[in-house]
Amino acid sequence: MSVSTVLPVVPATASSEAPAQAHRGNRRISPAATVLLLLGALYCLFPVLWVLIASSKSAGELFSTFTLAPSGHLFDNISDLSHYRDGLYWRWMVNTALYAGVGATASTLVSAMAGYALAKYTFPGKRFVFNLILAGVLVPGVILAIPQYLLLAKVGMTNTYWSVLLPSMITPYGIYLCRIFAAAAIPTEVLEAARIDGAGDWRTFGTVALPMMRAGLVTVFLFQFVAIWNNFMLPYIMLGDDRLYPLTVGLNGLLNQGANQPSMYIAVVTGALLSIIPLIALFLGLQRYWRVDLGAGAVKA
Amino acid sequence: MNKATRKAGAPYSFLAPALILFVLFLAAPIVYAAYLSLRRTKVTGLGLGAGSRHEVWAGLSNYARSLTDPDFLPSVLRVGAYGMIVVPTMLGVALLMALLLDAGRTRVGTFARTAIFLPYAVPAVVASLLWGFLYLPRVSPINDLLTGIGMTPPDLLSGSWVLYAVANIAVWGGTGFNMIVLYTALRAIPTDLFEAARLDGASDVQIAWRIKIPIVLPSLIMTFVFSLIATLQVFAEPMTLRPLTNTISTTWTPLMKVYRDAFIRNDIYAAAATSVVIALATFVLSFGFLKLVGNRAFNQED
Amino acid sequence: MKKTMLPLAGVLAAALMMTTACSGSDDNASSDSSAKPGEKVELTYWTWAPNMDKVVEGWNTAHPDIHVTVNKQDGGDPAVTKLLTAIKAGSGAPDVMQAEYQKIPTLVSANALADINKEAGSLKAKFPDSAWNAVTLGSEALYGVPQDSGPMMFYYRTDVFQKLGLEAPKTWDDYAAAARKIHTANKKQYLGTFSANDPGWFAGLSQQAGASWWGVNGDTWSVAINDPNTQKVATYWGGLVQEGVIDNKPMYTPEWNAALNDGTQVGWLSSVWGPGVLEGSAGNTKGKWKAALMPQWDAASPANGNWGGSATSVTTQSKHKAQAAQFIAWLNTDPAGIKALATQANVYPASVDSSAALTSPPAFLSDQTDFYSIAAESAKITKPFTYGPNVNVAYSSYNDAFGKAAQSKKATNFPAALATMQQTTVDDMKNTGFKVSG
Repeated sequence: MSVSTVLPVVPATASSEAPAQAHRGNRRISPAATVLLLLGALYCLFPVLWVLIASSKSAGELFSTFTLAPSGHLFDNISDLSHYRDGLYWRWMVNTALYAGVGATASTLVSAMAGYALAKYTFPGKRFVFNLILAGVLVPGVILAIPQYLLLAKVGMTNTYWSVLLPSMITPYGIYLCRIFAAAAIPTEVLEAARIDGAGDWRTFGTVALPMMRAGLVTVFLFQFVAIWNNFMLPYIMLGDDRLYPLTVGLNGLLNQGANQPSMYIAVVTGALLSIIPLIALFLGLQRYWRVDLGAGAVKA
Repeated sequence: MNKATRKAGAPYSFLAPALILFVLFLAAPIVYAAYLSLRRTKVTGLGLGAGSRHEVWAGLSNYARSLTDPDFLPSVLRVGAYGMIVVPTMLGVALLMALLLDAGRTRVGTFARTAIFLPYAVPAVVASLLWGFLYLPRVSPINDLLTGIGMTPPDLLSGSWVLYAVANIAVWGGTGFNMIVLYTALRAIPTDLFEAARLDGASDVQIAWRIKIPIVLPSLIMTFVFSLIATLQVFAEPMTLRPLTNTISTTWTPLMKVYRDAFIRNDIYAAAATSVVIALATFVLSFGFLKLVGNRAFNQED
Repeated sequence: MKKTMLPLAGVLAAALMMTTACSGSDDNASSDSSAKPGEKVELTYWTWAPNMDKVVEGWNTAHPDIHVTVNKQDGGDPAVTKLLTAIKAGSGAPDVMQAEYQKIPTLVSANALADINKEAGSLKAKFPDSAWNAVTLGSEALYGVPQDSGPMMFYYRTDVFQKLGLEAPKTWDDYAAAARKIHTANKKQYLGTFSANDPGWFAGLSQQAGASWWGVNGDTWSVAINDPNTQKVATYWGGLVQEGVIDNKPMYTPEWNAALNDGTQVGWLSSVWGPGVLEGSAGNTKGKWKAALMPQWDAASPANGNWGGSATSVTTQSKHKAQAAQFIAWLNTDPAGIKALATQANVYPASVDSSAALTSPPAFLSDQTDFYSIAAESAKITKPFTYGPNVNVAYSSYNDAFGKAAQSKKATNFPAALATMQQTTVDDMKNTGFKVSG
């Protein structure tokens, strides 16, 4: 599990946006700052640059020419990969999008409802429920995967789309974040006003609370989308049919061919490159939502 | 708040989907794992054919075996050392980059922010695969460069380097995300808080150290806790690198031992026992730390 | 409140429907092992051999009543892991499963493989004794039909050997001498590597030396991993690694592939399926390789071991044992099945009739017309070897113990690693309740 996948994200609320942004950014340029930032950027881009160059090479060139010298076989490699077992790779891509899209949508909704209830209601057992969910944040996926498999197998649901989708729909982090966000973004007076107007709990949630939480929910959605997209262990254990695989499990299979099979490094490298493009596009497209304020909850508590 | 006038069932119905899913996919598996940790198989005769294997109660013997396994303590210590490398390095670099971005004294800010955040889009399995290629002397451009300037490149997957090699992948993958978290917190600081100090002639470094860092301390603490949890769970990176080298054993980290017991040795009972131990240790460490720093973010009541 | 539950209820209901759809026929599992006449039977087959779906197409066209679907697996180990988990869970296993020979006792011990002695008919005469033993475990039961075998063979770069005046090594002493000469002539070149990642490879080398790591005596198992034969092999390799004339890095890494391709690794102790791997890894050196019999401990009485090889088995969760057995028999004994295995799935069929399907040498060694006669000779002299019910434990212990030994480059650590392997294996068996001697 990469470090980033367990970090909770709290979107910056409107009030925590710095009010005086204009004062920043128009000061004397510091060469030291520029150099340090560029070094950081280079470090982070380097492996991505390498995979781009490597996937432009033919199988013979991959290990024989200078590693940073590009070649002209990128489209051949993509075409070869596309033809691998009748386009199986693209099916993995579609599966991954399905797991991440449906799983993240469902878990965002579930988290929003739960976070809203925990933030805006008082009821017996509230503290217990919240502590329970916090404890859930700490449980590693590897530990859960085995008993999850055994339990799902008892109802015959392993090796189906559901076996990956259903466990992805619950995210304790998401609930934790939604609670903090609902507490910060929804003024209690607005709820009171809606109640006085005669709106029921569900109408208030749907028409008042959800729109106010929107920015935060997008962040929770993105967060869970990335977590599912990058997940390996759960689908690896749940799925036996490689037509249901997501990209991570499929690529791992390409990499670990049996001893008596020739290696498929070119396919693996090309597949790795293509697999990160959708997420990068998603990041660049929705960059403004990646403003996450972990301390906000603490400060406002 | 006048919540009492609302229907009493409403919060429960809002919580119901989450709680049902929580029970089915988190609580039940954990309880089941705890149950399994107290069981074991017993074979009769040669152990071949139907009916020769039975599940029996094992008491705490799985725990005894797990904790006395000669590979267990070294793997725990290794993860400790790994955490000492990863968490300070990652958060230190993330904080430095966030401060540099926030100071706004560069024109490459947007580019650098995007580039440093980029590794978050790369799954740990793929990241380890890419770095694995970059570590192997024969295929690594780093080696070519070092040889080019007349240095003898180290074998990054040899015994003395491998811990840093794995740590580097985690730092690479996690720095950008933490940087964004800290950067967001920095941006939320009202400018007038340090504008006065600046007029008094304080340097950027002094402002960062005396004003900005203390204000974003809550964010730093939370990133610390979550990085610590992630560190204890290190799995995908060494697992992917393992086939490339002799120096990463199948029990290199505690979670790898769980994986080995469950999936290679087919002994889910021992795996369950180790899992329970790891889960407990994680709870104690994270809650203990939060108690220590007195942070209420994790358990706030409003 | 009722309304609020709708979305989730919908999901759960859908999930439940999937559940029943998938497991609906589970109720009459095993009680009904033959389909009604005219009813189409669906079988799933887990295998990792390439193009197996094309091999199976031949069967599906000829047998419209029994349709086989191939689920390609990532390899022998992950497939077994998944099968064992499915068996433990009580559902999720395929009908037919490719199983490596060394995994069969483990799978039988976990009650994962069905006895198809009755359903398969008499096939014994179609296979060499060693392969047949591996699927019967010396009992009356039949836990699968041999699919392919992997007699070990030695591959070497003829150009490098010629330049140094070397010939294909007849004995292990010759091999060591050649390794020294090659490494002395070019410090970057190695004749081979000791791979701590490939326990199957080491088991094959030990098998050749006369070891048989497990044994059965009445209802007691014996473990002889640390026997004199295997010790001889471990000491031999420890010496070469310490001397530095043999590399100590694992096989099947990008590094190793590059080394084969650029002429740093100039030999490979492999198996009959080796040319297929070399084709992918060492494409730049095509035409420079040759296959030979393995180097021998005693040239006067040649022996060999296996690396790889697998059977096709029926799982205990299959509801159509008879039809599955019928398919397996076709795949591994029918001339059409054998030919498809050899030419499309690129395996070396275990059947004694395989020579008819193996006429021209593999593409990578297209000049070596005697390739398959060397292979047949290699298969013929293969020694018997018994696998135990916890091969997985012994093999993962090999990874760790020999990984450390190879990294240390100290000869004395190799026999010590062997002792660790033996100890770990025996401890595990005793802990599970097996009666173990030795």
